[in-house]
Amino acid sequence: MNLSYLFFLSSGLFLGWSLGANDAANIFGTAVGSKMVRFKTIASIAAIFVVLGAVFGGAGASETLGTLGAVNALAGAFMVALSAALAVYFSLRVGITVSTSQAIVGAIIGWNFYANKQTDYDTLAQIFATWTTCPLISGIIAIILYFALKKLIKCCGLHLLRLDQITRIGLILSAAIGAYALGANNIANVVGVFVPSSPFKPLNLGGIYTLSSVQVLFLLGALAISVGIMTYSKKVIMKLGNSLMHMSPMLALIVVLSQALVLLLFSSVSLHNWLEGNNLPTLPLVPVSSTQAVIGAIVGIGLAKGGRNIDWKMIGKIVVGWVAAPLMAMLICFVSLFFLANVFNQTVYLP
Amino acid sequence: MFNMKFSMFSGTRELEQKIDEMHDKVLESSLYFKEAFEIYLKEKRSPNYRRASKKIKNIESEADDLRREIESRLYIQNLIPDLRADVLQLVENIDKVINEFDEVAHKFYIEQPEIPEKYQAKFRTLVKQVCECAENMVICSRAFFRDFATVRDYSRKVYFSEHESDKTWASLKQDVFDSDMELAHKNQLSSLIGEVADVADKAEDCVDAILIFTIKRDI
Repeated sequence: MNLSYLFFLSSGLFLGWSLGANDAANIFGTAVGSKMVRFKTIASIAAIFVVLGAVFGGAGASETLGTLGAVNALAGAFMVALSAALAVYFSLRVGITVSTSQAIVGAIIGWNFYANKQTDYDTLAQIFATWTTCPLISGIIAIILYFALKKLIKCCGLHLLRLDQITRIGLILSAAIGAYALGANNIANVVGVFVPSSPFKPLNLGGIYTLSSVQVLFLLGALAISVGIMTYSKKVIMKLGNSLMHMSPMLALIVVLSQALVLLLFSSVSLHNWLEGNNLPTLPLVPVSSTQAVIGAIVGIGLAKGGRNIDWKMIGKIVVGWVAAPLMAMLICFVSLFFLANVFNQTVYLP
Repeated sequence: MFNMKFSMFSGTRELEQKIDEMHDKVLESSLYFKEAFEIYLKEKRSPNYRRASKKIKNIESEADDLRREIESRLYIQNLIPDLRADVLQLVENIDKVINEFDEVAHKFYIEQPEIPEKYQAKFRTLVKQVCECAENMVICSRAFFRDFATVRDYSRKVYFSEHESDKTWASLKQDVFDSDMELAHKNQLSSLIGEVADVADKAEDCVDAILIFTIKRDI
């Protein structure tokens, strides 16, 4: 493997780092914001589970992204990842919460246009559909959990202090599940475009387990996410954490759990196979946004509580961001590929 | 597994017991206060009254120990900081009600006020109302820990008793000042009536805080 590969991969790793820094707030932001759990403890747990999720469960969503557009040249993959990262960065600068999942899809379509490759419109339609279904399912799960937990608490008559302890344990477990799901579902965003050009050899872990070349690539991407979680997520959490969603610990648990379950639903290959085997409607294995899932869950709870406290103006702003970010990524990618190919003489696609 | 489960919740269970005991202390002090007041009306500063007043004093000092123990355990227990602050405030508010019972009982012992026969019935009603208020506050506070849905119902009862005690306090005070007693005597009785009514005010303050804690923690 030459150094140029690592250089090109750096844009993906940068994207991974920013994903870790931003999306960790969705997984355990409320737990840290309410000072229920120490940042170092929960960040370490999340970092470990992100790696496990990416390495052992990342194949499904990555495959779908590959179908959308197989970025077959390293320099092209570099620019796709960089465009997505820039689109996310610019959106954050203007105060709109967007997701890497959407930005990367926009960037891949930009590459398809530049390389004159046919975009798989069936896959694209499937991905677009998940951008609506993801927050919807998350909202439905949150509503179900809200009423179920409310009934359970009433029936059990648990003492408040014990409920507090259980909530704390629940938040840690949900963070672990959420981190695993984030790794499994979002690793495709980070290094998915580098899969076709991956030069890694299978890695034997002391004779116990052998990681395939793609898994080695995923491991690298997951480590970048973990570094993002450990180094920068605290700042994001402290900045957004409680101001974005000030809620009771139990509601925070519902939001985190709904988000984790939705991400799992959209990345679990075994669940997908089971549903398919039983002739049940399946959910596509697509990278979805944890931000979308969290917002879906918050709106769900808001509706369950009568819908009075929902800031629809803010929701509208976020939805505009969901449309604008992929378009911006597509445009940046298309223009940048032109420069990369014509000014820097790089091969950005193979015919 | 059993051991792990046991150790995970054993500290919480002990703390729960201590908080329960704190609530019991309010009920005990309320019962003894009613008893002490009846003794005072019949016997004034008799050895019996002294014993009853001493019992309330003991309950108050036990409650102080309990409060300190709960406070230190709350920090050891490592609860959600927000909840810890609320429970601390609640325990302190409960303690204030017990302190008020003790102070009033002690004031009767020290000042030995003369309560004319014609005002005794209203005074009894006032004592009954403030004790009822404190007892309902205990039920409301226990509900905060076990059953959020009923907190509001019990808080209504507290507000009702407090309102009634306010009316009795105003009427009794008016009766005292309309009488032809010495001004010093009027002032002494007025101050004592005010102190008795303060028990209900403290219970009401406690319930006000409980309602806010409930809104904060309701799912």
